[in-house]
Amino acid sequence: MSTHRTTTHGTTTHGATAPAATAHQRTATHGSAALRTARLCRRLAAAAAATAVLLAATAGCTSDGPATGPAGGPKKSAYQEGTLRVLASSELADMEPVLAQAKKATGVSVKFTWSGTLDAVEQVASGKADGAYDAIWLSSNDYLRLRPEAAGKLSSETPVMSSPVAIGFRPATLARLGWKPEEVTWSAVHQAVSQGRLSYGMTDPVRSNSGFAALVSVASGLSGAQAALTDADVKQAGPRLKEFFTGQTLTSGSSGWLATAYSRRHDVDALVNYESVLLSMTRDARSELTVVRPQDGVVTAHYPLTLLTSAPAGARESGRLLTEYLRGAEAQKQITERTFRRPVAPGVAPAAGLGADKRRELPFPGTRSVADGLLASYENELRRPSRTVYVLDTSGSMADEDRIGRLKSALTELTGTGASGTGRRFRDREEVTLLPFGDKVKKVLTHVVEPGNPGPALDAIRGDVESLSPQGGTAVYASLKAAYQHLGQDKGDAFTSIVLMTDGKSGDSAQEFNSFYATLPDAQKRTPVFAVLFGDSDRKELTAITELTGGRLFDATGGTGTLGGAFEEIRGYQ
Amino acid sequence: MGFREHAAPVRRIFGIALAVLLIGGVIAVILIGNKEPGGTATKTVRGVIGSEKAEFFDDPDVVKALAAKGYTVRTETSGSWAMDQLPLKEYDFAFPSSSEPAVEIEAKAGLKGAQTVKPFYSPLVVVARANAAKVLADNGLARLTGKNTGTLLMGPYLKASGEDRTWQQLQGSAAYAELTGTVFIKTTDPTSSNSGALFLAATSNVHNNSTVVSDEAGIERTAPLLRKLISVQGSLPPSTDDPFRAFISGAGDPLILVYESQVASMLLQKQDPGDMAVLYPDTTVNTEHTFVPLSETARELGALLTGDPKLRELAIRHGFRPRDGLAEFTKATEPHSAFLNQKLTGIRQVNTPNVKILMTLAQRAKG
Repeated sequence: MSTHRTTTHGTTTHGATAPAATAHQRTATHGSAALRTARLCRRLAAAAAATAVLLAATAGCTSDGPATGPAGGPKKSAYQEGTLRVLASSELADMEPVLAQAKKATGVSVKFTWSGTLDAVEQVASGKADGAYDAIWLSSNDYLRLRPEAAGKLSSETPVMSSPVAIGFRPATLARLGWKPEEVTWSAVHQAVSQGRLSYGMTDPVRSNSGFAALVSVASGLSGAQAALTDADVKQAGPRLKEFFTGQTLTSGSSGWLATAYSRRHDVDALVNYESVLLSMTRDARSELTVVRPQDGVVTAHYPLTLLTSAPAGARESGRLLTEYLRGAEAQKQITERTFRRPVAPGVAPAAGLGADKRRELPFPGTRSVADGLLASYENELRRPSRTVYVLDTSGSMADEDRIGRLKSALTELTGTGASGTGRRFRDREEVTLLPFGDKVKKVLTHVVEPGNPGPALDAIRGDVESLSPQGGTAVYASLKAAYQHLGQDKGDAFTSIVLMTDGKSGDSAQEFNSFYATLPDAQKRTPVFAVLFGDSDRKELTAITELTGGRLFDATGGTGTLGGAFEEIRGYQ
Repeated sequence: MGFREHAAPVRRIFGIALAVLLIGGVIAVILIGNKEPGGTATKTVRGVIGSEKAEFFDDPDVVKALAAKGYTVRTETSGSWAMDQLPLKEYDFAFPSSSEPAVEIEAKAGLKGAQTVKPFYSPLVVVARANAAKVLADNGLARLTGKNTGTLLMGPYLKASGEDRTWQQLQGSAAYAELTGTVFIKTTDPTSSNSGALFLAATSNVHNNSTVVSDEAGIERTAPLLRKLISVQGSLPPSTDDPFRAFISGAGDPLILVYESQVASMLLQKQDPGDMAVLYPDTTVNTEHTFVPLSETARELGALLTGDPKLRELAIRHGFRPRDGLAEFTKATEPHSAFLNQKLTGIRQVNTPNVKILMTLAQRAKG
């Protein structure tokens, strides 16, 4: 699954890099320029899928310039008749065949913009979603409901299908642990992790819906809470949660990349994600997983298709038609068979492979303080800390178009403003290294964000960013090598990653770096490079680097502001 | 008589709630009547209804039956407790899920002696899986009259809630992995949704020595228990559709508060209920769907919904109990008597506190 693709039911864009207010309300059939752009996007997306490198959407793929009809007709602003603009959880990409049928039956098509929970909630609560989208379709509205500002903005929340959080184990792992799938509990997982016998991958709760649901499941399971989590439960479960998260050896900003990264890694024993995602991975032969729903309870996503009250009447009517269709027996059958989500219509049997035995539903927190407190604890206390190296091109060409200014402001955003929400700044305990380069590495600037007192390190990083100046050539590969050498042997308790930002073609050769990388021990090879396309950087070159290291390519060539978007999105992978 | 003044802050809360539940969109009803050759022209009336009646008004047979009587009905849905915040001049009628909000709507619309009618009603029920119902019954919290139906004994149930009883503490639960954690009934958000609010109306009555809570003392007496009933649930859904669908999908909580009409509609449409058990709380508040004509155009519509045999039959198809229609309802649901307590035998019906008190209770319960 790719984060960006053009599909039969419309153009998909990425929330993090596509400003909500961007008017790109057009399908590929309108205007030849748009058609070309769409084709290009399709090709890029296809290439991305083929190479398992996931492209972040570019503004070039999402805003097709001024929207005009085929014959230069009137401007099609905002809602376009029959095409519902939907802000959605990215795992819904697998609904494509169902939505294609829905279009045939109802004439309503869907244009998705992918978004993580918190980002979507922010857009709805702040009003940015008004006028930009007609509906939201997240795995759950539970978190959104905790925001009073969102209350007036939603109507007709209609659950369409369901999927619980589950754990996918390598069959060999279950055998090694001597576990029967139906008897696995969160407590047992915690115990195995704390004995060093189990590791797993999970998405970032701040950016991904499945990660958030998993966090709530685990916290409920390990706190022993008999009812909805309270602040006291979270606090009390802290030590056990911290132990639990020592087993998390893989993190990701999206379910799609998590699956890809898991397939590359043989040192990760299990994945925590929605049952539907895990079963689909097995079907698609990417990984063989035994999928279990922990016996002590799960959090289930119900995917409520929810209309925004700000949507035009025509859009709301389209939304009603679409939901009515999706809740029908035919669509429900297709949904469960194609996506392994569970049907919500009576009389429709769940797809083969979906266990019928019941699980306790762990309540989602009923207050924002508990939900946000849990996320903040995860970020700053519970999860393993991050060691992050930013390999930054500060060659002479960075003076063009104020690229250096845009780099500075993008990095400064990551140092937070005091009001930055959870996950928007460098985390407590994070070791941040700036490695600016030109013809060679210019400096290696390292700071560690002190828990409870992040100010000094963040100030120091800000100062270092301010001192960056454009000069010299573009020694990408030598600088990357220096980054790996700086990280050295992973201390074992941190997520290590390298962010590479360059605005041009490298001046040195890949070959030496490739041989260097080949000699690294496995543990060091696992440090992924997240490369950012910017200015005139060479897509092919950067793609090769991300493929070699198991990273991912992010595109910030779309215009001002998107470099910040890419850096922000990469936080989910660090 | 400062009721409305005192109620102002509460009304603002309603305002928020309104927006949550409002479907602003007109649910266009197909103009079948107009298309029939030789058919008489219909007059279009616009109404705001509780969402549980949306399927009824969407039903092509209902559209046809109304058209035959000269009506094209266009509806929007809203939380019943928020309808009086709508620009009522834009509607020809309002059709909330219970009679209390109807009074508010009349007052707001400046109507005196509006000809409100109550075409049908539906009691609140708790759906459970058969094993959960049996565990409740074996522990004295419910009484089963068959495998799939029975009565929820509110006194013992509330006592257990007050003591934070868990499923693990109930005998016979160990066989079922899903029966763990605090015993609670999943409700909707009582500050915005009718069923959640009426659940508090019923439970507060039981806990207030079988008396309607009507004063500060009653609020203080009942609020701590109501808070337990609501706050343990965590996130609260906006409508009964959400937990009911979760139940159908095999996930979800063991005990869910819904309208009897949701269950009956499913049964009457011959959809498989699985191993569902329907528990009728022994103390309940009926939801009397109350038709409030706001303009002259809709004045006769309420009477039509109440009296027209075809429309009564169609209301039953959607699980509602027509006014004075016990015999019709009983006959139609005869094949499903294993699930339904058709005659509501042994069920005590109580009145609701006034709106202000009920919403105070809802706020206190949410905490």
